[in-house]
Amino acid sequence: MSKTLFEKIWDSHLVLEEENGPSLLYIDRHLIHEVTSPQAFEGLRLNNRKVRRPDLTIATEDHNVPTSNRSLPIVDQVSSIQIKTLEKNCKDFGIQLFGINNPNQGIVHVIGPQLGITLPGSTIVCGDSHTSTQGAFGALAFGIGTSEVEHVLATQTIWMEKLKPFEIRVEGKRKNPFAVTAKDIILSIIRRIGTAGGAGTVIEYRGETISELSMEQRMTICNMSIEAGARAGLIAPDEKTFEYLRGKKYTPKNYEELVAEWRENLKTDSNAKFDKSFTLDAKNLAPQVSWGTNPAMVSDVTEKIPFPEEFAKDLSQQKGVEKALQYMDLKPGIPITDIYIDRVFIGSCTNARLEDLIAASKVVKGKKVSSKVRAMVVPGSQMVKKQAEDLGIDKIFIDANFEWRESGCSMCLGMNPDILGPGERCASTSNRNFEGRQGVGGRTHLVSPVMAAAAAIKGHFVDVREMDLN
Amino acid sequence: MKGNVIKYEQDNIDTDVILPGTYLKIHDYAELATHAMEGLDPDFHSKVKEGDFIVAGRNFGCGSSREHAPIALTHSGIKAVLALSFARIFYRNAVDGAFLLPIEIDEDAYKDISNGDELEINVATNEINNHTKNKKYQMKPFSEIIGKIIAAGGLFKFKP
Repeated sequence: MSKTLFEKIWDSHLVLEEENGPSLLYIDRHLIHEVTSPQAFEGLRLNNRKVRRPDLTIATEDHNVPTSNRSLPIVDQVSSIQIKTLEKNCKDFGIQLFGINNPNQGIVHVIGPQLGITLPGSTIVCGDSHTSTQGAFGALAFGIGTSEVEHVLATQTIWMEKLKPFEIRVEGKRKNPFAVTAKDIILSIIRRIGTAGGAGTVIEYRGETISELSMEQRMTICNMSIEAGARAGLIAPDEKTFEYLRGKKYTPKNYEELVAEWRENLKTDSNAKFDKSFTLDAKNLAPQVSWGTNPAMVSDVTEKIPFPEEFAKDLSQQKGVEKALQYMDLKPGIPITDIYIDRVFIGSCTNARLEDLIAASKVVKGKKVSSKVRAMVVPGSQMVKKQAEDLGIDKIFIDANFEWRESGCSMCLGMNPDILGPGERCASTSNRNFEGRQGVGGRTHLVSPVMAAAAAIKGHFVDVREMDLN
Repeated sequence: MKGNVIKYEQDNIDTDVILPGTYLKIHDYAELATHAMEGLDPDFHSKVKEGDFIVAGRNFGCGSSREHAPIALTHSGIKAVLALSFARIFYRNAVDGAFLLPIEIDEDAYKDISNGDELEINVATNEINNHTKNKKYQMKPFSEIIGKIIAAGGLFKFKP
């Protein structure tokens, strides 16, 4: 029988399956962090359970860690306790931890692939919705809640209802792939299919444009699958995938044998059926900017803020747009390029890998951040930070008056010292523009790293296609 | 199960407004509850009563996988959320920890139910009685696995 890639991975990990009932799925890798794991360990202790496979469980500290000087103690006592709790839990249960002062520390979805923990054809879970990032390697990777974290720690399995395969094809050559990035592709997709467009599904991204993308760009696409309501996103592995994972810290010893097998098997059969399908034409795509309070409220940079009446065929959506514009303090009809910003955040599991920083640095080089803007770059991991510093990228940002910080989730989610003040407006390379996401009353505009860099220089949104590059 | 409705007539109520990120450091459930819905309705904590239901639009609970969101709601007294649809991770979290019931309703019921209405929910018959309006609605039945996890009282008590 013909199968999609998702179905092949699902079927090869089934421990138990009942007709029309639940499925018990084996989990190959479990990543944990300080925020969604404490109650899970507490549950294990209460019930006298062990971690079944500590060797398949890997921890890091990313969500609440400060991104300033790492030699200083953490000022926030509650965060400090959460960090110490993870350290104790990892020690007690024998789990490898990449803690705050470890050179492998970083955002959990960034370090997984960098360490070769993320492998094609595997199942990966983490108590974090952006686990979908790692689907870029042809893994079935998805976020879970803390009860499920406990269940995976105890059993290395998870109860699931089978998801449905959703095909999204991206076709057509972009005219300017430097300016029209993977971020613009995924924002365009969410804008068209909506925040629940992928509910109950695993998206497989396919097509010529996807094949052309680098691994890091593919991660940006899969990262935001959850923003379209999908549990996971995945891309069939190819030579780029195999090359990326070669020689990493945890790359298996029999890697080339595995590659031969993956090359053969890890793809959707030619006549396999998807539950639904959507195609995006990337040929005429423009850089995207979000103007509202969910990741489907997005326009081309060349467009104007929409009028709520444009959404009149869906009253509930029209009301949502009205409310969003009120929160964002934006008037319908003004050009996107007339929106002035206070802050710029280049970081997060969506866009803080080396290529993102290199691209943004090309926009910044030889220029200065607008005097009205505070801008920061937060590398996705300490490894990314070091690679960038080895290339001199840090100097380009620092010379332009960007802050160059330590790795972590930082200003993506408003739970560590990096937050927006009330009313502050931010060009952000992160993934969520929800009300208050980056701090109470903060206003988030989602953009690509090059668009964020351009906005930092000009003080307002600009079409990065029109910037002079050094 | 009987209670009164707190209605939010909007779609995409995300986990960041249900429980803002800054409170993810808190481990005490009673304290978490004092911040429930703070990003959307700062008065929520003062008005919610034990046994209340939330009624909302499409894609309730979208965004983060934080289980703190259903925990904060249930420790505020919320016994069920009735919505047009749910984001999947929130839905599973609500059920896995036996925190609250995520109940899918149709457009007619959603439009008909008003803030403050007294509802009685019967999961065995999939019926919702609106005592204030003297009306009946059908809820969408739980799938087999969800029904079993709910009946067992959470993920760890569930046996297939």
